[in-house]
Amino acid sequence: MRTDKMKLGTLFHPTGNHVASWLHPDSQVDAGTNFLHYVQLAQTAERGKFDVMFLADAIATRDGRREALSRWPQYMAYFEPLTLLSAIAPMTTHLGLAATATTSYNEPYNIARKFASLDHISGGRAAWNVVTSSNYSEAYNFGREAHFEHGERYDRAAEFVEVVQGLWDSWEDDAFVRDRASGRYWSPDKLHTLNHKGEHFSVRGPLNVARPPQGHPVILQAGSSETGKELAARHAEAVFTPQHTLQGAQAFYQDLKGRMPKYGRSPAHLKVLPGLNAIVGRTEAEAKEKYAELQALIHPSVGLEVLSNAIGNFDLSGYDLDGPLPDAAFHSKPNSGSTTSFSNVLSWARNENMTIRQLYQRFAGARGQRTLIGSPSQIVDDMEAWFQGYGVDGFLFHAATLPGGLEDFVNLVVPELQERGLFRTEYEGTTLRENLGLPRPVSRYAA
Amino acid sequence: MPGDRRTDRMKLGTLIHPTGNHVASWLHPDAQIDAGQNFRHYVQLAQTAERGMFDAMFLADALAVRDGKAEALSRWPQYMAYFEPITLLSAIAPLTKHIGLVATTTTSYFEPYNVARKYASLDHISGGRAGWNVVTSANIAEAWNFGREQHYQHGERYDRAVEFVEVVQGLWDSWEDDAFVRDRASGRYWVPEKLHTLNHKGEHFSVRGPLNVARPPQGHPVIFQAGSSDVGKELAARFAEAVFTPQHTLEGAQAFYTDLKGRMAKYGRSPEHLKVMPGLNPVVGRTEAEAKEKHEFLQSLIHPAVGLELLSNALGNFDLSGYDLDGPLPKAVYSWTAPGGTTSFRNVLNWATTENMTIRQLYQRYAGARGQRTLIGTPRQIVDHMQDWFLNRGVDGFLIQAPYLPGGLNDFVDMVVPELQERGLLRTEYEGTTLRDNLGLPRPKNRYAA
Repeated sequence: MRTDKMKLGTLFHPTGNHVASWLHPDSQVDAGTNFLHYVQLAQTAERGKFDVMFLADAIATRDGRREALSRWPQYMAYFEPLTLLSAIAPMTTHLGLAATATTSYNEPYNIARKFASLDHISGGRAAWNVVTSSNYSEAYNFGREAHFEHGERYDRAAEFVEVVQGLWDSWEDDAFVRDRASGRYWSPDKLHTLNHKGEHFSVRGPLNVARPPQGHPVILQAGSSETGKELAARHAEAVFTPQHTLQGAQAFYQDLKGRMPKYGRSPAHLKVLPGLNAIVGRTEAEAKEKYAELQALIHPSVGLEVLSNAIGNFDLSGYDLDGPLPDAAFHSKPNSGSTTSFSNVLSWARNENMTIRQLYQRFAGARGQRTLIGSPSQIVDDMEAWFQGYGVDGFLFHAATLPGGLEDFVNLVVPELQERGLFRTEYEGTTLRENLGLPRPVSRYAA
Repeated sequence: MPGDRRTDRMKLGTLIHPTGNHVASWLHPDAQIDAGQNFRHYVQLAQTAERGMFDAMFLADALAVRDGKAEALSRWPQYMAYFEPITLLSAIAPLTKHIGLVATTTTSYFEPYNVARKYASLDHISGGRAGWNVVTSANIAEAWNFGREQHYQHGERYDRAVEFVEVVQGLWDSWEDDAFVRDRASGRYWVPEKLHTLNHKGEHFSVRGPLNVARPPQGHPVIFQAGSSDVGKELAARFAEAVFTPQHTLEGAQAFYTDLKGRMAKYGRSPEHLKVMPGLNPVVGRTEAEAKEKHEFLQSLIHPAVGLELLSNALGNFDLSGYDLDGPLPKAVYSWTAPGGTTSFRNVLNWATTENMTIRQLYQRYAGARGQRTLIGTPRQIVDHMQDWFLNRGVDGFLIQAPYLPGGLNDFVDMVVPELQERGLLRTEYEGTTLRDNLGLPRPKNRYAA
């Protein structure tokens, strides 16, 4: 029996994670431009003792058919994550603030600065979700004709993270003596110049921000490829890679943590927190009803678009929605990053004889991610099994609608978790590291 | 027109360097000593400025620490370690209501898409109070933090800046103001015809767009700038809505004012739509004696190592170590031709020759505010000066640079602002909720709107 407790994060896509969330009365329809809504979400999450709130990101709008995109506004227009989290910082006290920022279209010095600054502003609650950009169109916004190739992206990312961590160590923790009597503000021997010269970056330093309260902001990541897992084992402190089965989760957990010792890292210092889509009702029937309501709101254009994305952008227009998937679809090639969805969809089509409509109904809601639908105890039973089975250290909760779905979880599921001793009733500390149970990195320069 | 009595009011900004603008500010007991890491300090400053009816608070910036002698830099922490401006202003936004939030961001070491996004986001978060001070980077060492062997040459920097601003403004127009219908009945969130792809292909940037942020409440965040070169002035005339270029005399200010505003018509812009607000360093006392005492006290805190470092900077980095502080400038300085701040260089040599100043006296005069004008006096005296420059169309307002913070800003807000208000020179209530409203600037139309 594990004696530690679960860690919980919560992902905020504007209006919620379900593809039809904005159409549901339980969602804040103008979330993409409504700052106060985000403050309320953060404060709700804090009431629910969540470790961290998390913002995904991309630096381009989605590509696709406007007819569909105009009915599903995810990734079209919303806040930039670091400005939003910085503004939420003074409105919260304990909640971790995790922003996604890509290593492909940023410079290490700027990323190091911004996250260090957020860490100071928030009193040690900043986290950086390291991505290499899955929306290939981002390249076109940054002067490139094509996105970086997979291998190069990860090489660049690995070097990028090293540089950023090196910059965060520029000033030792006690560099600022601020001694009026002697007229000395900082100690010259406690400022270090990184002088990084690598394959992708040449960065002199030092950083012009004092060492962050957490030493380093917490590093998050969600890779599933070999290189992604190796990068995680080396640098990540929390990992969100989606999982569909307990067995798969356990295998990933073992694999990932097993890679850490060669980097001098303890497996306890990485928290595995895959996504959890949960639709909560006071009873199972109520939960199913909520889910059915959402599913009924899926517009065919949107469903078709999302399904088409899943099967390598195969064009499904012109086919009877209540007929089968066309044969040609089975010969399509998956988009990179969607291989699991691709094989799942084709498998349902083949083995369950599903129509196009049924396929998008099953897939589109949460884009193929696992969704739990039930009463609080049913949901917690499942979470507990994964936690006790060492498939996870906790979860990244994806509310189907926001704020409604988050409120349901905080009001109904969190108390059940707490009652079973699976989750905190009070925050352990004031920094994200303390709450996640992660050590504070020692400066590489400190004696 | 020149000669007509102005009926409009002054605009005021406040520049916030962590402990204040005076080189010895951190040593003053009325300065917040850990300003570089103290978020609450900045919140209080913002709230004080808001109480004082300021249009905007303003943060300078650089993407590198200063270079120089550690012995000197460790005694003068300006530009060494502080908050990144946009994260800081974003955090201040929910704790304020009216004050404009202006950050400096360089066009040299960022990409336009990222800059467009961040300022648009800040504008949404703050309900329309964001401003962007466009710079090309004065600290050439920034290049080394971004993979370059050296900074861009002057001409190329400005070409890049012009294109950068064009791209950013184009991206801010990606979504029309009314693109988001959010109609649950029909299932339509946004109107396809109201999303526009920029497709910019230029010499420095290739940016497709669209931006993934809705059109900012102000249409475009307000553009600030502070160039004084010809190229800088032309850029200002084309894009800037407020300009901070330092001025030393009323005549100089008037010449700049007329010159700059005269360049705007060819860009289809009206002269009222650019506010000239040079820096002002006030040391305020209830009496003139008290003000002088405050100034002398600050001056007495200047450490020789720091004074010498700054004086050396002003003289194109001529190494002044080893010379008698109470002796004259070495003759070699006069034939030193290394690049540096040429106005400062000339001023310092001028003081040395015409006033026979010693090295110590020179750094005392120069270092405090790095050659910028300092106004020492009572509220009346300070407002007399401000009024004179304002009514005679040398300025539309000022960027107040308090010598130490929070004390110096409190002094200004408590003593000078009421005098300005009494004379009808400054607002007693904010005109609107956005920075544009308060500055009296028009809201840009979307280039794509019918």
